[in-house]
Amino acid sequence: MSIFEDISTAGPAPVLERMIRFAGARQRLLSHNIANIDTPNFIPFDVSPRDFQQHLRDAVRERRESGRGESGELQVKDTDEVSEGSDGALTLTPRTPSGNILYHDRNNRDLERMMQALSENQMAFKAAADLLKHHNDLLRTAISQRV
Amino acid sequence: MYGTLDISTSGMIAQRTRLTAISANLANQNSVMPDGTPYRARRVMFSPGDPGASDPDGREMGSHVSGIEIDQSPFNLRWDPGNPRAIKEGAEAGYVRMSNVNPLVEQINAMQASRAYEANAAAAETTKTMLAQALRLIA
Repeated sequence: MSIFEDISTAGPAPVLERMIRFAGARQRLLSHNIANIDTPNFIPFDVSPRDFQQHLRDAVRERRESGRGESGELQVKDTDEVSEGSDGALTLTPRTPSGNILYHDRNNRDLERMMQALSENQMAFKAAADLLKHHNDLLRTAISQRV
Repeated sequence: MYGTLDISTSGMIAQRTRLTAISANLANQNSVMPDGTPYRARRVMFSPGDPGASDPDGREMGSHVSGIEIDQSPFNLRWDPGNPRAIKEGAEAGYVRMSNVNPLVEQINAMQASRAYEANAAAAETTKTMLAQALRLIA
């Protein structure tokens, strides 16, 4: 493994990168649900961030138990709803339905839950992006000291 | 994530079109068509997907106006026997056929469209914030 791979997969970077990708892909889904808030017969579906985070947690634990410590690429298993392509892009297959009642237009929208999910997703994205930026800043500082 | 902005924009366009139809309904609630029949309310129909999206992947996401249909519900009747358009014979004699626009329903529809537009705008704003945060990573 090259020094560059060591640096790019060190510590929390792969976890944060996946969090950012997941939140970005989920934002697309949430926007789609909101755009169809008045579409008859439209049933909004979401993906479960809890399941994705559980798989991420398992991957971190496996990396730690494999003896590589806190560095090395993560092997995140695909969930029912989230699969990772060879290029790292996430494909979402939403299966988690909105639990609200069916309205007269056969749409079971739940605007409050949608907006809550939107805010939570944004906060998760922001947290991961800020932490990754901090991590990158630390690396930059270390490199600049060496040079 | 640029495609995500397209999705919210498609929702805003659909809601704006609906609001335009509602405005037209309210403006024409006392109008008579050139053939002499009263104005019939217009109803905007939505469908998922955005056929006009530039990105092929984006065509399955978002929403669009699939059609504007004419409301075929019965006309309202107003008692006005002196009106030249009043019905001359039958059980409805003395009544004038008015448009089937119900201002109360239109007001509620307008509020609903306005709230849905705001929800889409909020989603677009959130996406913009996330894009800015992502750009800060490489700045």
